[in-house]
Amino acid sequence: MSIKIINLTKQYGNLTAVDKVNLEIENNQIFALLGLNGAGKTTLIKMLSCLTRPTSGDAFILGKSILKNPLDIKQQINIAPQETSIAPNLTVFENLIFISQIYGFNKVDAIAKSDQMLKLFELEEKKNVLSKRLSGGQQRRLGIAMAIISDPKILFLDEPTLGLDIVARRSLWKIINKIKENTTIILTTHYLNEVEHLANKVAIMHNGKIVANDTVDNIVKNLKVKNFEDAFLQLSQKENENV
Amino acid sequence: MYKTLIFAKRNFKELSRDLLTLVFTILLPVAIFLIMLFLTNQLNIPNSAFEIQNFTPATIIFSFSFLTLFTAMLVSKDRSTAFLTRLMVTPLKASDYILGYTLPIIVIALIQNITLFIIALLFGLNATFNIFLVILATIPVSIIFSSLGLMLGSILSDKQASGVTSLIIQVVAFTSGMWFDLNMVGGTFKTISYILPFAHSVDLLKYLLAGNYSEVLIPLIVVLGYMILFTILAILLFKKTGTKR
Repeated sequence: MSIKIINLTKQYGNLTAVDKVNLEIENNQIFALLGLNGAGKTTLIKMLSCLTRPTSGDAFILGKSILKNPLDIKQQINIAPQETSIAPNLTVFENLIFISQIYGFNKVDAIAKSDQMLKLFELEEKKNVLSKRLSGGQQRRLGIAMAIISDPKILFLDEPTLGLDIVARRSLWKIINKIKENTTIILTTHYLNEVEHLANKVAIMHNGKIVANDTVDNIVKNLKVKNFEDAFLQLSQKENENV
Repeated sequence: MYKTLIFAKRNFKELSRDLLTLVFTILLPVAIFLIMLFLTNQLNIPNSAFEIQNFTPATIIFSFSFLTLFTAMLVSKDRSTAFLTRLMVTPLKASDYILGYTLPIIVIALIQNITLFIIALLFGLNATFNIFLVILATIPVSIIFSSLGLMLGSILSDKQASGVTSLIIQVVAFTSGMWFDLNMVGGTFKTISYILPFAHSVDLLKYLLAGNYSEVLIPLIVVLGYMILFTILAILLFKKTGTKR
């Protein structure tokens, strides 16, 4: 088990952003976390990645509590935020070296890992280019390379293909599938076809709660709808009626 | 310490590869220094602020105000691009961030004041051991300016940060006694100037440069006090808002 979440709650004043969430996520799978804007996905991920403390409840990442062992957890996880999140005045290679050294790699290992990432993400030709000069797609690939260079056991991917053209998107999907062999990936996205293509399991959030947690096929079958998009809409609208 | 140095190295590269940093932290202070030198020599201005042993420290302090600008811009950009969010998920500790942002600023400050001293020596400043003491004393002063930048960068966007720090640069110019002797103005203006740390910073460097060691204690205490206060405030603000965009 990679992640076990127990009654996790986050309140900002009167607003409950995440409301008693319970989830279990298995090893080495792609777990998609879906929901409309403001559903609570980002807050949940912030708590799981030890960026924000929960108001109540707890979560165990690889058996360690996010409340008691945040530093141990941080050594095992990594994140590729939705924004560029790269150092603009460092070259592609320097960005990779920097992140690997922050995770404790010595220089020799950092260079070896960085070369490996350049190859995997097809950025070898851009090795010595300042990262601010890369295209949007290349920056996105560098951002994900920086997230997996530390060999994380758990990787949070926030909208990894946002704004990419179809070729760049397919190329990233291929890489994400490859990463899955050794890493549990928590994926957030608004592209439902991406979820259908990549995710082993899906949780849909609305108003801070998990309203579905199953495979794409099972969610569609159980709701007796035509496709996953209809299922997603139905769950969201149903919840809206309850609010 | 290894991770602190790795982060500091990144920040130094990020700052030093920006042409504007070079222009504002080194070239502009040098230009101002040369203008003051020209005014002193050509116009015979009867103002002690325009004597080389006084305006060398004053120009150093003025040049440090740009350190606030560039620290604030760096931190706010790291926040807005989510680079800090990425880093906050790594095993870096709070002390790694604060030192990692501060150390490269100290290095740039040392480059600034060594450059200015070389020029001052070429134009008639006496070469004494006191110059070494002044350079040493600029370390806590530069921490005041970088902490101020860290505070502003933690709460403002990069556009807001550049606007607010422009204001701080003006405050430093007027309240440090750079352009005129504060005793000449006196009154409330002088009182306010001596509540802020900038005039004390100039005094500290001036007294050290002149070898007036008996006068050093009060400005040194004020500078160290502000350094500690601003560092604590910077840590608190950074911890509170570091990942917010």
